[in-house]
Amino acid sequence: MSEEIAPHVHFQYANARHQAETAISGMWLFLATEALLFGGLLLAWVVSRHWQQSSFDAGGRETVLWIGTINLALLITSSFVYSTGLGSIEGGQPRRLIQCCWITAGIGLLFLLLKFYEWHIDLSEHLFPAGPFKLHGAEAGGARLFWTFYFVATGLHAAHMTAGIGLVLWVARQARRGAYSAAWHTPVEVVGLYWSFVDMVWIVLYPMIYLVGRGA
Amino acid sequence: MNKLDRRLVFGWLGLLALAAIEFGGSYLPLPRSLRPLLLLPALAMVATVALLFMRVATGPAIVRSFAIATVFWLIILLGLGTLDPMTRAVYQVQSTELP
Repeated sequence: MSEEIAPHVHFQYANARHQAETAISGMWLFLATEALLFGGLLLAWVVSRHWQQSSFDAGGRETVLWIGTINLALLITSSFVYSTGLGSIEGGQPRRLIQCCWITAGIGLLFLLLKFYEWHIDLSEHLFPAGPFKLHGAEAGGARLFWTFYFVATGLHAAHMTAGIGLVLWVARQARRGAYSAAWHTPVEVVGLYWSFVDMVWIVLYPMIYLVGRGA
Repeated sequence: MNKLDRRLVFGWLGLLALAAIEFGGSYLPLPRSLRPLLLLPALAMVATVALLFMRVATGPAIVRSFAIATVFWLIILLGLGTLDPMTRAVYQVQSTELP
């Protein structure tokens, strides 16, 4: 080959920018499919609540508001921290990127621990929709539907969080090995997109799970 | 603190402020049918995350097209999915005695 190619550029790409744009576009396409997956859950919430508003909201009032609210603040903060890490590597500061990745993963882990604690509270209060249930009478049907939505949505989100924490730790390890520089850091950007998307999902789930049913 | 960091800090504080508005709004005595309006601050937060942390506005054109396509197909999914339940009249069926 007559033309010299930069070390990170694979043969099928014209240049590093082309390769980076392809990777970022690929992640966006994946996130589009993820948005439609969670969109189906949103539709289930809308339809279930529409038919049984009173009892569905009664289920929502049983959620642990303080844990959901702290988790919202934690995830917003984690996206902010990761973005400052991305800005750091763009400025050629890999050390700061590593620190930001550790903080982001730590916040993510704290989110999951709080979530597990919340599930423990929910289960000990007999809020699992199958089996003996806390609410009875006219409220039971819609409330069971709400709690089915709750466990599916939060379980799916927690699975995404677990994958995200793994990816952020992988970025930290690669950065420690000197894999990224100001000139090439595409994986840092791609993982950041995924992490922010997981944050977005919680931003939408939070009012649906914790707020709409309250005060109604 | 450089310009990007300053923007990120303001964005983060803005997101926390929107979260506080959403939380405070949940204590308003809204009728049950209007309570899904509490999702409006969440939509503003999603837009902020997309623009600030995911850099959708400054990314390649194909990224913007994927983002717009996502919103479009979500509107189709939610619009068509809710059209039937929202417009269907529910008639109570009188109980009948078996002979």
